[in-house]
Amino acid sequence: MARAAQIRLAPEDVDRMMDSINDILSFCALVGDLDCADTPDFTWRMKKLPSRRLDEAGDWADRDRFKSMSPTMEGDFFRVPRIHAED
Amino acid sequence: MADSPLSSKNSAAAKRPVVIGLEVHIQLNTKTKLFCPCSTDYIGRTPNTNVCPICLAVPGTLPLLNDLAVALGSRMGLGLHCEIQNYSNFHRKNYFYPDLSKAYQITQYGLTIAVGGYIDIEPEGRPKRVRVHHLHLEEDAGKLVHPTADGRLTGAAYSLVDYNRGGVPLSEIVSEPDMSSPAEARDYVIRLRQLARYLDVSDGEMESGSLRVDANISLSNPDGSLGTRVEIKNMNSLKSLERALEYEISRQNKVLDSGGRIVQETRLWDDAEEVTRSMRSKETASDYRYYPEMDLAPIVITDEQIEDFKRAMPELPWEKRERFAREFGLSGEEVAILTEQKELARYYEETIAAGAPPARAANWVRMEVLRVLNETGTSISDFPLGPSVLAELVKKVESKELSSTIAKDILDTLSREDITLDEAVKRSGASAVRLTGCLLDEVVDRICAANPGVVETIKSGRDKKGGKMKFLQGLVMKETRGQADPSEAAGSLSKKLGA
Ligand SMILES: [Zn+2]
Repeated sequence: MARAAQIRLAPEDVDRMMDSINDILSFCALVGDLDCADTPDFTWRMKKLPSRRLDEAGDWADRDRFKSMSPTMEGDFFRVPRIHAED
Repeated sequence: MADSPLSSKNSAAAKRPVVIGLEVHIQLNTKTKLFCPCSTDYIGRTPNTNVCPICLAVPGTLPLLNDLAVALGSRMGLGLHCEIQNYSNFHRKNYFYPDLSKAYQITQYGLTIAVGGYIDIEPEGRPKRVRVHHLHLEEDAGKLVHPTADGRLTGAAYSLVDYNRGGVPLSEIVSEPDMSSPAEARDYVIRLRQLARYLDVSDGEMESGSLRVDANISLSNPDGSLGTRVEIKNMNSLKSLERALEYEISRQNKVLDSGGRIVQETRLWDDAEEVTRSMRSKETASDYRYYPEMDLAPIVITDEQIEDFKRAMPELPWEKRERFAREFGLSGEEVAILTEQKELARYYEETIAAGAPPARAANWVRMEVLRVLNETGTSISDFPLGPSVLAELVKKVESKELSSTIAKDILDTLSREDITLDEAVKRSGASAVRLTGCLLDEVVDRICAANPGVVETIKSGRDKKGGKMKFLQGLVMKETRGQADPSEAAGSLSKKLGA
């Protein structure tokens, strides 16, 4: 898991975290012990949304209201805190 | 020469081969952003008008992928001979800089839309194949403005951000480090840009930021191993790309010559000072903490869709070059100029389709049409003289109905004024009937009678270099106001003078 998440772990941490993950997994396994023989199936279906949209423009009617409520505007710009450059 | 310090320094530098890889970002030709329906037309817009809750990262909003961006990315990938992947996904690239509203950029990492490929370049006539590592999709960042006197970040108490550009779709094309000179890098970018334009994937304008180039450059060690690589950013023209690379080669050589070490870093090209400056130590991939973007479904492209993309591919630049040479019998140089822009190539082909002979039409488009476009600063798409009119004009020259001098004047007139070809011909003074035969002989007689001395010189055989003959020919052309054909005038003169 650490490798998949690109987190570097020291060898001693691997053992320690392995124990923690095993605890979590054995807790999850308890779900399997539940008796659900009489539980009916879901009666509703998952709504399937499209994974892409067409290249069609839309406008946001509330933009100006949104901007007027923003505490961080200066003119038309959003104001952001000082950026610390490494120089 | 061999002992001069300059040449010994050069030979030391020549021992270190240059290795260049490029990362080119091109803005995809979509109407809307990559994950929301905001317009991508951000240039000159009031700040923060092309924004919505999605590209402003208002909590609770979800991105939804623009289908056209997938199609355009795939098309560019196919043009680069890449393999289009059936399955790819998006990642979050985290970095703390407020030009991103979400504090991460959605990009592809690892599994990208197109993999492998190449583009053939030919800088200064030397062919070379540059391999493409991959092409991926990502969103652009917003624009920061620093309220300091020089507009730089240093010293700014705060900054201002405009998110109009944030979320605009980009495709990043990452080359292998296959280029070994600034000229090769330049040619690579030129050909990539041409390809993007042929495919209608992007307008590829470097000046407006539709095409941006970052370069990785290193000098190889004497043992042939790769040297430390430096990344250069902020080059916004082909000229600055070449200059920045040249500067960096000489800077790195100087550091190494004096026994120093190259630091792995990002450097910014300063166009005004013509130097690169250290920006920050280069982040490595782990600094970005890439992780899968769970808010977006993976990009699935079926084999059928890939076949559809392939079928929809237009003629590619190198295919057009090959066909122009074969079908129209044009030279390599002529073909290169005529196919540089596909709009010009189309104009040329339509001129031929309207009956103009290919070789003469090639000359006219190359020399005259491009001259007028240059002088007036217009593009071929806005050129008022249609290909059928040019074809008529070229045919009139071919049939000697018009001299080429007059035809050029007519072309100029037609590009300036909204009149018909016939009107322009009339106005040019060239009558519908060309000055030829007896009428031309009459003019020749008149000119000879008015210049007895010159005639005597020619007749007595003292016009060895033909200069006097040319002089008379010029007078005939002037007298006929270009209505005579120059070679016919010369023929009539030599017949009369026996030269
Ligand atoms: Zn938006």
